[in-house]
Amino acid sequence: MIELHDLTKKFEEFTAVDHLNLRIETGEFFGLLGPNGAGKTTTISMLSTVLLPTEGEIRIDGGKLDRKASAEKRKLSVITQEYSMRQDMTMDEVMEYQGRLYYMPKKEIKQKSDELLEFAGLIEYRHRVVRHLSGGMKRKLMVCRALMTEPEILLLDEPTAGMDAISRRQMWQLLRQLHSRNITILLTTHYIDEAQSLCDRVALIDKGRLDIIDTPQNLIDTLGAFAVDEIENDLLKSHYFPDRDEAIRYLSGAGQDASLRATTLEDVFVERIGKRLGPQGK
Amino acid sequence: MGIVAVLWEKWREFRRDFYKITLAAVITPLMYLIVFGLGIQTTSHGEPYLNFLIPGIVALSTMTGSFSAVAQNMSVQRLYEKALDQVMVSPTPLWQFIMGQVIGGSLRGMYSGGIILLLTLPIRTGLVFNGFSVFIMFLNGTVFATMALVFSFLAKSYTDAPRFTAYIITPMSFLCNTFFSTDQMPRGIRQFVACLPLSQTSGMIRGISAGEYVGFRGIIVLLIYLAAFSLISVIFIYKKKTL
Repeated sequence: MIELHDLTKKFEEFTAVDHLNLRIETGEFFGLLGPNGAGKTTTISMLSTVLLPTEGEIRIDGGKLDRKASAEKRKLSVITQEYSMRQDMTMDEVMEYQGRLYYMPKKEIKQKSDELLEFAGLIEYRHRVVRHLSGGMKRKLMVCRALMTEPEILLLDEPTAGMDAISRRQMWQLLRQLHSRNITILLTTHYIDEAQSLCDRVALIDKGRLDIIDTPQNLIDTLGAFAVDEIENDLLKSHYFPDRDEAIRYLSGAGQDASLRATTLEDVFVERIGKRLGPQGK
Repeated sequence: MGIVAVLWEKWREFRRDFYKITLAAVITPLMYLIVFGLGIQTTSHGEPYLNFLIPGIVALSTMTGSFSAVAQNMSVQRLYEKALDQVMVSPTPLWQFIMGQVIGGSLRGMYSGGIILLLTLPIRTGLVFNGFSVFIMFLNGTVFATMALVFSFLAKSYTDAPRFTAYIITPMSFLCNTFFSTDQMPRGIRQFVACLPLSQTSGMIRGISAGEYVGFRGIIVLLIYLAAFSLISVIFIYKKKTL
């Protein structure tokens, strides 16, 4: 279980995370969503202890997480937004270094590394240095590295950024498999469809503050399960309805360009966060 | 042990960049030896100048070897590759990471100093280098490796690492009892320079090489520097809000 109590991070005058309170249950797949600069990556960086909070604290299964907390850190693995790896190491070396940092026996490192690189389709590139890998391969290697130590909690900061559609779907499949093994997953992403598809619950944050937290379906229901899109004054406008009949009634009176569809989590995001950002945000 | 993991990482780096590291360790000191020791042949304290110069160059090489090994590696890991994040989130205690960096850095410094000893072996100067010299070289390496750690934690950009070298390491290279005796300096400056770690190392290695008695004062000075920089590194890695 991850608990954030009044977590705050200030960079001089700028407050990146502002008294954030969250409780993520063991085995939960939790999404942290927000616009650029909302404080998602800063939150992950505090969870990985690269940044220390200005105020508040993080607890992992009740134990306070700080840079000395080896027992709590052992449960964590992080996939950062950037390719945070030694660029001059080979894939094998990246995996071995990770294993050594987690005190894994050499035999186990080799076995686990082979298994994961094989699974990710990277085994034939194992002697290639990170600098010479494509973005997608680096991303997969980071996943392999994170899984090397069989973490109880996986922190994922934009794990599918820069991936093509097929790789993204493969990653989703992998994350679902991990979730089924009762691993707690905290995901930040710009792809709202990703969060809707994968997460048990999501939190929307804006300007470092928690806006709303619930299951994707409950958040969608706050708008209405059905949406009618129509063009008004050259702008796309969506109208939301709790039931299909009401939506169809509205559609029959709307223009030819209007269309009916299911409301998505992205609609919730745009309605709640986009409104605050103004017309450009919407 | 996390120390072993860090040493393994440094060993891999050394093996991979062996030729580059060796060449970088050789060129500048070799130029000093050729220009100052063989080109401008003179005497110092009634001895061939080369006998004065070689111990100074060994101390200097140990310093630059260990400082650059840690400063470059850490600056790149922290600011460019963000690879330090991998260590920060791991259960390896961070003091062990510091210790691994310091030992690894010091061994690289000793390698640089050792190369100079090998290169000057055919000159037959009659200078003595023994286990005590090796110990001083190692201690000197640890001082400058911890100093490099502190500076790399202070660095705000990748370009700051060469700046620290220009501001601190280069002046020390020339002034700290390496190319000329600090006895010739004005009193205040002499006392200040004498307190610097490289002056102590040069003096001790030179004393041993000449077969003189070397007291523990220099070792105590180096240990004080080592303790101070180690403490600052540990405070930084555990307490710095933004790494």
